[in-house]
Amino acid sequence: MTEKLLFADIDEPGLHTLGVYERRGGYASLRKAFSMTPEDVLAELEASGLRGRGGAGFQMGKKVSFLPKGSMEKYLVCNADESEPGTFKDRELMQKSPHMLIEGIVIASYAAGAQRSFIYIRGEYVLQADVLDAALAEAREAGFIGEDILGSRHSLSLVLHRGAGAYICGEETALLDSLEGKRGNPRLKPPFPANQGLYQGPTLINNVETLSTVPVIIRMGGAEYAKLGAESSTGTKLVSVSGHVQRPGNYEVVLGTPSREIIYGLAGGPPEGREVKCWFPGGSSAPVLTAEHLDVSYDFDSLAKAGSMLGSGAIIVVDDSTPILDVALKVAKFYQHESCGKCTPCREGTNWTVKMLQRIELGEATPMDLEIMASVQDHIMGNCLCVLGDAMAMPISSIISHFKEELEAHMERARLRPAETLVSA
Amino acid sequence: MITFTIDGREVRAPENAMLVDAAKHGDVEIPVFCYEPKLGNPVGACRMCLVEIEGIPKLQTGCSTPAKDGMVVHTQSERARVAQQAVVEFLLINHPLDCPVCDKGGECPLQDITFGWGAGTSRFIEPKRHFVKPLALSERIAIDRERCILCYRCVRFSQEISEDNQLVLVERGAHSYVATFDGHPYEATFTGNIIELCPVGALTSRPYRFRARPWDIEDAGSVCTLCPSQCNVTLTVRDERVIRVLARDNGEVDDGWLCDRGRFAYPALGGLPATAAALADAPAAAENGAGRITEPMIRDGGQLRVVSWERAMTEAVAGLRRAGERVGAIAGGQATNEEGLLLARLMREGAGSPHVDSRAAGTLELELHLALNEPRLQARVSDLEFAHAVLVLEGDPIRDAPILDLRLRKGVRRHGMKLIRATREELLAGPRELADKLAGAGEEIVVLWAERLTAGPDGSRAAAALLELADALSLGDVEGAGLLEIPAHTNGRGLREAGVLPNAGPGLSDPAATGDASPTGRDAAGIAEELAAGELTGLYLLQSDPLLEPADREVWERALERAATVVAHASFLTEGIREHADVVFPSEAYAEKEGTITHPDGRLQRLRPAVAHPGSIRAEWSVIVELASRLGLDLEVLTGAMASAQLFESVPFYAGLTLEEIGGKGVRWQEREAAGAYPTREQLV
Repeated sequence: MTEKLLFADIDEPGLHTLGVYERRGGYASLRKAFSMTPEDVLAELEASGLRGRGGAGFQMGKKVSFLPKGSMEKYLVCNADESEPGTFKDRELMQKSPHMLIEGIVIASYAAGAQRSFIYIRGEYVLQADVLDAALAEAREAGFIGEDILGSRHSLSLVLHRGAGAYICGEETALLDSLEGKRGNPRLKPPFPANQGLYQGPTLINNVETLSTVPVIIRMGGAEYAKLGAESSTGTKLVSVSGHVQRPGNYEVVLGTPSREIIYGLAGGPPEGREVKCWFPGGSSAPVLTAEHLDVSYDFDSLAKAGSMLGSGAIIVVDDSTPILDVALKVAKFYQHESCGKCTPCREGTNWTVKMLQRIELGEATPMDLEIMASVQDHIMGNCLCVLGDAMAMPISSIISHFKEELEAHMERARLRPAETLVSA
Repeated sequence: MITFTIDGREVRAPENAMLVDAAKHGDVEIPVFCYEPKLGNPVGACRMCLVEIEGIPKLQTGCSTPAKDGMVVHTQSERARVAQQAVVEFLLINHPLDCPVCDKGGECPLQDITFGWGAGTSRFIEPKRHFVKPLALSERIAIDRERCILCYRCVRFSQEISEDNQLVLVERGAHSYVATFDGHPYEATFTGNIIELCPVGALTSRPYRFRARPWDIEDAGSVCTLCPSQCNVTLTVRDERVIRVLARDNGEVDDGWLCDRGRFAYPALGGLPATAAALADAPAAAENGAGRITEPMIRDGGQLRVVSWERAMTEAVAGLRRAGERVGAIAGGQATNEEGLLLARLMREGAGSPHVDSRAAGTLELELHLALNEPRLQARVSDLEFAHAVLVLEGDPIRDAPILDLRLRKGVRRHGMKLIRATREELLAGPRELADKLAGAGEEIVVLWAERLTAGPDGSRAAAALLELADALSLGDVEGAGLLEIPAHTNGRGLREAGVLPNAGPGLSDPAATGDASPTGRDAAGIAEELAAGELTGLYLLQSDPLLEPADREVWERALERAATVVAHASFLTEGIREHADVVFPSEAYAEKEGTITHPDGRLQRLRPAVAHPGSIRAEWSVIVELASRLGLDLEVLTGAMASAQLFESVPFYAGLTLEEIGGKGVRWQEREAAGAYPTREQLV
């Protein structure tokens, strides 16, 4: 089931310019928000039940309400470091509809009482950053950002900051450190950013898609928005479908749509004659699901119940032409490469896992190694400073449990391979 | 206090203490690597301290979870044990296990924790991470990156404690390593602390490398006498030689840190100033104690030559007899209180000369000394940290007393202390105006002033202005406020209080009251002038070489040239000793000394001999006592402890002190009842 809220006008030529955006009703939500009190805006956000679209799925309204009241300096940070493999929805939003994000930031800052805001965008998004820069200039010119916006007495500065390309900087506290000019390493929580975030001040951090949804909620009303979707997964979600499907791309779906409808209906399913072997429902850090799970409803709770997670809403489909070991190695290598090195289980665990997988590939492993590898994943999970370690451990662990036989068969085959082919491998 | 349960026992602990600390109240140890409260807030990086808390689904880090009333904690549950074993296993996969050739082996937290909390087996069969090793992080520190477990302690020290910001972590993930920018050497004032902070053998002391195994060594506590900070130290001793100096945490003195001079100058222990040169060839000097004087010497045919004690004594006695009353004495700043007291008695009672001095800044009227040292005006070192504001007057803490620099940084960084500097000119221009400027900063103000503020012709005026400033700020009436002097020399305060001043006897008493000698002697500069003029003919130098003092060098050259007899206690043949001393007694280094010294804030601290005297060195006090006896004065001291007892009797406000009471952490005399005996200005004759 599709419903176009964020993507309503996404293919409108020139939507990234202020003129077109306003002609399509842009910044009307901002005016509407300013006609309300910040408390009422917050009430609408809470009523909408909107859950964070970045990966953790925490209720956005609740997050805003955690910020301490008072006149201290507060910050709003938009996490545009979209770096979860398979995820490319924020890219399209920023590239095609940057003003929607800006409008969302201004409204959210009004509700949160923040007067300084930042967009932290990953360094690789050069085009998107340029588009945003241009949109920011227009918005400033038009008075949507700056002092006393539209006579509301709300002021907001907005700075676009380009990251240097580290996955870890998508983790909110590492992002804050990086934004402060330090090495991007996650911080110990508590204190949570809502209490002590950027420059030690209360900070609201939200994903691009979350903030872009804010104008929609204000336009529709929180209660109306909440009618869409599943019980505790309200509204629509942008889903990036990639991998072995015939029509990869971003799709906006109502939460609660059956997964099969997204993978087969919208994205066209695997190429002719192939079957789904497994799929990541929420980016490469989500535990894999198999063809058995295709009828699971695509929403936060159902996916959690099925043993995975919605994450960033990136579906990666792997068909039966791909050896599962390749998938595991690809995933593990990514997280080994991106581990920041601050905490022990992640730093050493990702490294160890990759070495074991490589040994399996080369035929130098025994079935006991699978047990060790599974136990290493258990030792990583839940024991790290941030969730990066879990991000590798969860998919690897699920791959081992779903595809143990295939891995064992591979090990056996690779072990029996003549030595000369091993060298070329 | 709260009550919580850990491993089945009910434990009472301070509220909000982190679990790793709170657990100690119940005799439970939670292992840690990265946690070190001295480095500031916990970072939760190593994950060694994971514990299970009932009601919280995930394991929590004990280093960052405050104990709450009613909390139920398990450190030995299956889940906690598995996690602890897992972290140990993770840490060891890239650790080289070269313990048999590692300096840290035997005193290594990683070894201990592996033994206590590890699984005892290894499942890792992949190749380990490799680095070139060891590399020189600096002249003094070697870094072995293979051994590093990336706990961040050294980096945090550099960034948050000494704030030199030189150490960083570069690269990412398992490739991370500690480095400096572009491989520059890590050069700063407090670098050696990272060796002690390192929980593995990744950072080792180059002078100490491969010198000993922990079972070869003994530890001895003492106090570093190389500067007025008087940091508490533990000396590592092997075969009667000090081969390493470690910090000995005393929150009221050094906060557990040690500067590089204190840490690495041990080969030159007992040398006058630990010079840059001495520091540079420390490793070589450590081999043979290069240059140290270990035998008595006399000048013979223009050259110093080694003689027996008997010969040196005879020579010294004859010289002092010839000089009679026309002798002056100067005590160097590393002399103990006891040595100072005995020297002053030797001069005043034995030779009948009032010319004794220990102060670098010249004479100050006794009433100013009394006012500046008044107990209620004295700030403690820890006050620097918690004060609302600290005024640094004419001083440069990092040079004068380095460890105080760290305390000031801590105050600013963690407690929002306001740091203000002013010059002597600003003080002289108007103490009241200066006070007005400070008034807004808060009530608790500490004025950290350097002795040289009161030097020179304007010295007395500056001292009076300082007292006026203290008065204007009511420093004497506010708890946590006060004055803290950084003396020019290590034991400047103690020597003064022991009576090594031309115008005061023991306990800053008026010498006129005793009637033993003419009331007022000449200070150091005066002694030089009179020697040069031929008014004085003898000079007694106790661990002091006037030619090393930049002031008055010209006069001193003439004075030493003309002096008929120069008797010196010295450790090294520095210029003044080499060229001018007629008798040289080999001096003890602080590691060999017994006695007390007084910290700038009035804390009496105890020096305890860690090693035996090299060569035929004798205790300084015993040399003075013997000389006195040959000159016909019985100083009534037969042991070091008797010298201390005599000191405690002679200084009224030290009364009743014992060496036991001073113990390992020292005692501030101002906090004892005897402080009431401090002379008031009215008691002056």
